[in-house]
Amino acid sequence: MKPEASDILNISADQLLAGIMSVAAPHYLQGATAIHGLLMKFAAREYERGADIRAAENADIRALFAELGGEVRDAALKTQLAEAAAERDTSLTISSLDASNARLRRLLIALHVHLEEHKARAAEKRVWRLLKTMAARRAMPLF
Amino acid sequence: MSDALERRLAAYLADKLGAPELSVHDLARIPGGASRETYRFRACYGGVERKLILRRDPPASLIETERSTEFRAYQAFFRLGLPVPEPIALELDGAALERPFFVMAEIENAQAGSILAPDPYGAHRMRIGGQFFTILGRIAGADPHALGLQDFDRPESAGDCWRHELARWQKVIDEDEDEPQPIARAALRWLTRHPPPPAQKIAVVHGDYRSGNFLFDGAGDITAILDWEMAHLGDPLEDLGWALDPLWAHHDPSHPAGTLARDDAIAVWEKASGLRADPAALSWWEIFASLKGCAIWISAAHEYSTRRNDDPVNAFSGWYCLAFHNKVLADRLEALA
Repeated sequence: MKPEASDILNISADQLLAGIMSVAAPHYLQGATAIHGLLMKFAAREYERGADIRAAENADIRALFAELGGEVRDAALKTQLAEAAAERDTSLTISSLDASNARLRRLLIALHVHLEEHKARAAEKRVWRLLKTMAARRAMPLF
Repeated sequence: MSDALERRLAAYLADKLGAPELSVHDLARIPGGASRETYRFRACYGGVERKLILRRDPPASLIETERSTEFRAYQAFFRLGLPVPEPIALELDGAALERPFFVMAEIENAQAGSILAPDPYGAHRMRIGGQFFTILGRIAGADPHALGLQDFDRPESAGDCWRHELARWQKVIDEDEDEPQPIARAALRWLTRHPPPPAQKIAVVHGDYRSGNFLFDGAGDITAILDWEMAHLGDPLEDLGWALDPLWAHHDPSHPAGTLARDDAIAVWEKASGLRADPAALSWWEIFASLKGCAIWISAAHEYSTRRNDDPVNAFSGWYCLAFHNKVLADRLEALA
């Protein structure tokens, strides 16, 4: 489907920033209008990478659950981790990936707390490595 | 701009200042952040014309703040001789202008540096940096009782500063978290398990002292420290940690606030405050600063998503700023794990 949504957002943002803003926006709104333009640029980038980021993060968290499940002493948590590790994303819509991501993140928090409480240092460090990867993947360069 | 607002403002000020002849002209809305509506106007009374600023509450604020806090901080530090706008009037009752507001003097011929700009202070960066960290040191060194601010929100003791602030921002995250935040949650736990030493003193904490929240003139002099709405009492290292945060460093964390080298900035603060920036304690407050940032951005995203405040700055904060601080926290805490 052409033009892509990202093209529409980018071109609209350029027009907003270059032309429309200076004649259409009152002074107090020009800063806000510039932010609207920047947000449209961000949205264009998220349109391109949003599903990929979420799918990759979900896969990474599931892989971590499979890797660290053996470290967990709590039986109920261990079962939850095993079940989550076996799941796969069957839809690539953002809303579906986000719903999976929220479940996985909640479980990741529970796992992290459990590892801290049991002073499983190596496993804890492994969780931090994943959190660092997740943060780097979701970072939003300004330009 | 609304003539009705001009008329209502004139009527209010005429009564408040005891100047029945007072008139208001040229009321115009200007940029002023997501937390308050800001207007510039001129008031004529007593044979003179004064250039003033009106700050009015929006229907919903970015962070819920005590309305009188900012006004009282301006009063106290204006008397102390720090560069802040002269406060004129505070109205907590929404009757006069529909919502609470306050009026202060306009700072003319000055600008704020955008946090998105790579080098907003240019040739003035050293001069501005020296003043920026000196003023922060003076705030830290001031006596809250002498300022009349001893009833600001405060911890029970110097040893409780960190717990008081951590609880404040954990509450914000608990209330406004729209999606699970594993990095912020882990940071909260880390900060709880590794408390800093007691504060050297309980000081006035500005709460949002950073690049972008002050005005400077063409000579490179800071003419006003703004946005005191999150001011409270606490550990003075809290403000220093926030001022040093990489988000406000204009893409160069080795030069906080886009000004001095980090060690120089800390030395200037120590000299002006008479306090010591213990590296371990400061490290805790810097990690706390990034966590506090996460809480603010989580709240901003919530405000925007629920349309309680659809200022685009809130959307920007929920995307860019939260991702930025998540990365800062993950990098720092992964190294400490």
